[in-house]
Amino acid sequence: MTIFIRFIIVSIALMFFGFFYFYINEDKYYPGADFTTSDMPNFEIKDLYSERIFNVKDLEGSYLINVWASWCITCRIEHSFLSKLESKNIPIIGLNYKDEEEDAISWITRFGDPYKYIIHDYKGNLALDLGVTGAPETFLLNDGKIIVHYRGEVNDMIWNDVFKPIIKRENLFNVN
Amino acid sequence: MLIKVFLFFSIIFSSFTLGKSLYDFESVEDEKRFYSLIKEIRCPKCTSGSLASSNAPVSEDIKLKIIDLIKEGKSDQEIKEFLSDRFGNQILYNPGLSKDTYLLWLAPGFFLMIILLIFFFRKRT
Amino acid sequence: MCFIFSFFLNSKDIFIINLVSRIYTHSFFIFLSSFFIYIWLAISDNFSVLYIAQHSNINLPVFYKISSIWSAHEGSMFLWIIFLTSWGAVYNLLTSNDQPLKAKTLGVISITSVGFLLFLLLTSNPFETILPVPPENGADINPVLQDPLLAIHPPMLYMGYVGFVIAFGQAIAFLFEGNTNIRWEKQVRSWSVVSWSFLTLGIALGSWWAYYELGWGGYWFWDPVENVALMPWLAATAFIHSLSASSKSSILRIWTLLLSILVFSLSLFGAFIVRSGIIDSVHSFANDPERGLYLLAFIGLLVMISLLLFSFRFNLLLSNKKIISLSKESFISINNILFGTLIFSTMLGVMYPLIYEFLYDQKISVGAPFYNAIFVPITLLACIFLYFSIDTKWQQSFNLKSLYRPSFLSITVSGIIVFLAFYKLSITNFWTLSSLLIGLIIIIRYLIVIYFYFAHKKFANLYSVIAHCGLGLLIISIALNNNLSSERALNIKINETEIYKDHQVSFTNLKMVPGPNFDSVQAEFLIVNPNGKTYTLTPEKRKYFARGQVTTETAIRAFFLKDIYMTIGDQLDDGSWIVNIQFNMFIRWIWFSAIIMVAAGFLLAHSLSRSRS
Repeated sequence: MTIFIRFIIVSIALMFFGFFYFYINEDKYYPGADFTTSDMPNFEIKDLYSERIFNVKDLEGSYLINVWASWCITCRIEHSFLSKLESKNIPIIGLNYKDEEEDAISWITRFGDPYKYIIHDYKGNLALDLGVTGAPETFLLNDGKIIVHYRGEVNDMIWNDVFKPIIKRENLFNVN
Repeated sequence: MLIKVFLFFSIIFSSFTLGKSLYDFESVEDEKRFYSLIKEIRCPKCTSGSLASSNAPVSEDIKLKIIDLIKEGKSDQEIKEFLSDRFGNQILYNPGLSKDTYLLWLAPGFFLMIILLIFFFRKRT
Repeated sequence: MCFIFSFFLNSKDIFIINLVSRIYTHSFFIFLSSFFIYIWLAISDNFSVLYIAQHSNINLPVFYKISSIWSAHEGSMFLWIIFLTSWGAVYNLLTSNDQPLKAKTLGVISITSVGFLLFLLLTSNPFETILPVPPENGADINPVLQDPLLAIHPPMLYMGYVGFVIAFGQAIAFLFEGNTNIRWEKQVRSWSVVSWSFLTLGIALGSWWAYYELGWGGYWFWDPVENVALMPWLAATAFIHSLSASSKSSILRIWTLLLSILVFSLSLFGAFIVRSGIIDSVHSFANDPERGLYLLAFIGLLVMISLLLFSFRFNLLLSNKKIISLSKESFISINNILFGTLIFSTMLGVMYPLIYEFLYDQKISVGAPFYNAIFVPITLLACIFLYFSIDTKWQQSFNLKSLYRPSFLSITVSGIIVFLAFYKLSITNFWTLSSLLIGLIIIIRYLIVIYFYFAHKKFANLYSVIAHCGLGLLIISIALNNNLSSERALNIKINETEIYKDHQVSFTNLKMVPGPNFDSVQAEFLIVNPNGKTYTLTPEKRKYFARGQVTTETAIRAFFLKDIYMTIGDQLDDGSWIVNIQFNMFIRWIWFSAIIMVAAGFLLAHSLSRSRS
């Protein structure tokens, strides 16, 4: 009986500390990356420049959605990388998040437009449906399904470590 | 006494107007539901903390959405599902009862029972 | 050296004991002076020390320069170890050299300290320098940390945590010696009760600070770091009760031994969790896997060795004595089991998200709903057993009949009050009413005990009575606070008035006020209660220069039965402000209950140490 108790005490303690050892050593990777698949939510939002209304049926194939705003400082840093992606013919749809129309337009005029088109989500309704918590955030979609949701700035490293593997696996964007 | 009189008249005769609540509720029950719900929903942007304890912009947005949902007549469970569909299960501080969480909820009871059994039936040498 | 001498030489030899004692004292004084030097470095703005440059500033008041020492990892670890060795030093001083366990206890304390000191020096050196050119001025510390209460909260907490090293050391020494006749429990009682009081005080201070500083009116969040402080407290509470049984007879000695190892292990575990970066929390210090691994290894080693020692030697303490049913010991045992379940559940709640994420790569949160569901029923159950234990005696079954008269009185009076609460305050929640009932029953029963003590000279341990009354009050306060408090977010412009709960809330003034290292917006509100009395509350928003941080300062007006609590939010486009107003009922009672328990603890420890000598 006492041997049994000894065994229990020691093994529980070992498992306990062992767990923490493995947990600490685990490559935490990128906490901002979320790979759960979900459907693109339905929406009806105006384009930034015109009165045209977009809805989910307008989106086809594979593309990125980038959440940005003129008040978002990190977005300025991310912008050059997005331009690089655009030059490689990767379609990016801009989701202008809780921004005044004039501020957004002057930001784009100043820094350039890497987007295929920009949805003006003034109230943040679509963003809420997408689970957006701030800017910048970037989604990768294929066939109406969200397959990557990254919270934070996308740069070379993030693109290579987080997005590229999925793009390769799903064989998207032909070129890359 | 004089102060009371003064205040009374100043309120009646001044251009004081009645303010509104930011969060517009149809009933006291709704208001109570709201305040109790936001304690159970995690702030998705903070390292830890509920919506009640956070004034991050996204927290405010979610709170206003919850109010809308309450007004639409959605139940607490529906509201929680709405949010977890969009922000993931981790937004709920109540992990719920699912096949993944049976262990969590039942383990304390089992632990108590096992210890009680050991305690009452142990042999003395 | 102390460790080596005490464990590998004959520690019963008086020469060895004297030697160990002397070595300890000398090393301690050297170590302590290094801490005083550090304080001097902080006060004299010596920014060549990296840590001081990172956390202090020329413009800080002296008090905060000193408290900045423990505002982050390296310094607070330093403080932790200072307290650890200080407890050892006081133990050394107050324990006579003919105590058989003294040398080994000091040995355990020493080796623990050495382990942490190595950790400090190798991974988190507070003395690291910026040379050859030190900065002109330090960084401003987080403005949220510039608060007197928050400055005292860590020292009190650490005093509690590390105080249990004495019980731990004695337990290990005892196990090693293997002599069941040594009554280590008796010796350890006053040390443990003092540590418990500090721990209770530290937790209460942290909770009170969170209440008035963080702006959302809550006082306990079931944050992993809070939980990790609660677990040692639960174990400590069970421990001091078990200790009172074991020090009187050889009952429950195994429980007491196990608990003494558990309390200190949980304290160490807490230090590990907070400093390893595993848990993301507002509380946790910088994330660093290297530190985490070192701590894990060292703490794991300590705990494993003590558990191994326990598992090989506990059979020494198996006694033939049965615990007599319905004796005081039996109730203590049952509550030990209940507390053990609480500790297990808390640990489960903390670990579950980690394990889940490790296995499934998905996040899950475990928060208040889980902990409340477990804690409320079990705590109330423990209180019911506490109530029954009031009449019990040591090692005797108690006469159920003697329970009838006082129970009748306490239950009737409590029942009336609960009915009034139900009827007049519309409290319908089962748990609230139950908590109210049980808390009241305990308090009234103890009042009867006090009456008999003074009127009929019937024996009672008054300190224990007071502490338990504090517990009853705590349960009542928490239940009522939870059920009766309310809040509302107002959208209000200057010179507007809103009615909230029969009180008029008028926005009377808005000022921009410059401060020493911040700018603030002060909003003044005039509250008129139903009886016409007026109060002014001035919540603020501050922007600090150094880091651009914006904080909200709550405005609180405290009353006997409630706090009126206000914060200001953002200003909207139409010029109106978002203002949050809360009525927190019975909140002062919660702090008051905690203070009662802390005071009773200190007084009890004092009386115990007096009766020992």
